[in-house]
Amino acid sequence: MNSAVQPEKVSASSHQAGREVEVRGLWKSYGHGAYVVRDVSFALQRGEFLTLLGPSGSGKTTSLMMVAGFEKPTRGEILVDGRDVARRPPEQRNFGVVFQGYALFPHKSVLENVEFGLRMKGVPPAARRRQAFDMLEKVGLANFAMRKPRELSGGQQQRVALARALVFEPDALLLDEPLSALDRKLRESLQNEIKELQKRFGISILFVTHDQDEAMMMSDRIAVMAEGRIVQIGSPSDVYLHPATPFVAGFLGETNLVPGTYRGTDEGYAVVDFKDTARGRARLPADGRNLTAGEAVVVSVRPERVRLLTHQAEPNFPGVVADCTFLGRHTRYSIQALGQALTVSVTEWSQTSALCNGAPVWLGWNVEDAQILSGPEGALATPEEIIR
Amino acid sequence: MSASRSLRLSGHALLLIAAAPILLFLLLPSLIIVPMALSKSQMIQFPPEWISLHSFADYLGDPQWVDSTLLSFQVTIVAVLIAAVTGGTAAIALHGRSFAGKGLLVGLIMMPIVTPVVILALGDYLLFAQLRVLGSWVPIAIAHGVLATPYVFISAQTSLTSELNPALVRSARSLGARPISVLYHVYWPAVRPGVLAGSMLGFAVSFDEVVLALFLQGANSVTLPVRTFSAIQYELTPKIAASASLFIVLALVALALQAFAARKTGRLS
Repeated sequence: MNSAVQPEKVSASSHQAGREVEVRGLWKSYGHGAYVVRDVSFALQRGEFLTLLGPSGSGKTTSLMMVAGFEKPTRGEILVDGRDVARRPPEQRNFGVVFQGYALFPHKSVLENVEFGLRMKGVPPAARRRQAFDMLEKVGLANFAMRKPRELSGGQQQRVALARALVFEPDALLLDEPLSALDRKLRESLQNEIKELQKRFGISILFVTHDQDEAMMMSDRIAVMAEGRIVQIGSPSDVYLHPATPFVAGFLGETNLVPGTYRGTDEGYAVVDFKDTARGRARLPADGRNLTAGEAVVVSVRPERVRLLTHQAEPNFPGVVADCTFLGRHTRYSIQALGQALTVSVTEWSQTSALCNGAPVWLGWNVEDAQILSGPEGALATPEEIIR
Repeated sequence: MSASRSLRLSGHALLLIAAAPILLFLLLPSLIIVPMALSKSQMIQFPPEWISLHSFADYLGDPQWVDSTLLSFQVTIVAVLIAAVTGGTAAIALHGRSFAGKGLLVGLIMMPIVTPVVILALGDYLLFAQLRVLGSWVPIAIAHGVLATPYVFISAQTSLTSELNPALVRSARSLGARPISVLYHVYWPAVRPGVLAGSMLGFAVSFDEVVLALFLQGANSVTLPVRTFSAIQYELTPKIAASASLFIVLALVALALQAFAARKTGRLS
């Protein structure tokens, strides 16, 4: 109970709750239809918060449901501490699952909801009542033990759902878009609450969402999914700053895609010739693919990573301001440069504020902020195209 | 504003004038029975000679009539139990599933409502005669159970569709519930209101059912409707009116209880 207060005195096993969950080569098709999940593999470390992020139809929920046991994998393994559980029914696995809308039993009290898992596992009444009550105390709902779920607020219901999923010491928590039906304000406070509980209990969480902000805010690692595959897996900053494909770059916020020609490598960075004979440098592909000189590539640069200057400095490209919009926290510029319209987001008001339509400017970026994406197949496909 | 209000009032008045005769026509046969039961006469007649309670005393003092009444309750209760179990479990089993021949199966369950009762009665008569169990009350209870099953099935199905959140089944299973526990903790609370409402209907259907009971009757298995039916043909005793009045009161009490229960659950949700 005091594990959060005295972290040093608690052994690693009780602080890092849960087991390692590894998914290997998971495939799923319904009948003879096309595969909705294709060769999905990932490992959920103890105490880790891993998010499956993707648009609807990307296979993220199906993957989670296969881990939970509600969908049968066509092929593949689901290993819990090395044991394959892929053929077991959900009631014989040991995952705490939280559903969208929470799916609390409406006819049972809060306490009965929380003790349900223990009851199903044959814990005697007195013991399970005490354990459930302790858990409610930990999530701050001891005073609501006798209420019915519908008498609680949305936030309290979420805490009941989490308490119910945590009380029987599951191998991991599986959360299936629990927040997607809620309004923005409530959603943010509930995201914080999930994160806080996860740290306190040290439980590993596999989270599914289509909301990139939610994924960035909560996760240790994000697995971006599209068309049934994991396209890229890495830390939020990794997938945001160094996207592997145009899809990842576009799905995790706004980006500029600049086509160019690869010329060679210099100090570990790629040298790229853009349109109008401008030459620049960028990071090599995130998936480690080798490039050949003369190959066409696409470079992704985030709007807030493009520097906007009124004078020439190295390295840089000339451009003309086509449009500007003041948005409070930042100003958005649309700039005609490198033969296309580039979006630039500027937070400093001072020197660039006077710039507007028709003004000549100079653009530049740190080499670390320019990322060559993987191609060539589907290299220019945008998220919108893939979603469609 | 006051003009539209008076227009609405006159509209209401017109509706009342049109509806009142229909309501009266529907209620009159039931209401007329009560004064007839209070008649002094030894024959059932209208208008009655007021006022005596002797017909009630006669009814409750006649062992044949009392036996028939008790038998009717016995048959109806067993029939409702059969219908509740088969209709309720059928609704649960078919809920959310789709397979080839499901429509056929539902049609089969609904058949007793669609089939003319005479045909059902003849079939039951031949079947139970073959089995040599005719004359006991049990075949009547079984036949009534079959007749009441569709009513429970329909209302259980409705209640499952509106009350059962499919995520509840998954959440129970993820918490370690085996199928039997899922049935008890998830399906039963969702199907209960439908089974109760359907059973109420089934009770009404079975209690005053006369055709099946007539075909399957034996010397010691004459239900109240059958007794009433033959009394009208041969005796014309005011006991008929007395028993009918009692059951009108019973029906009113049941309706009031149901309305009360509906209001209570309505307030909670």
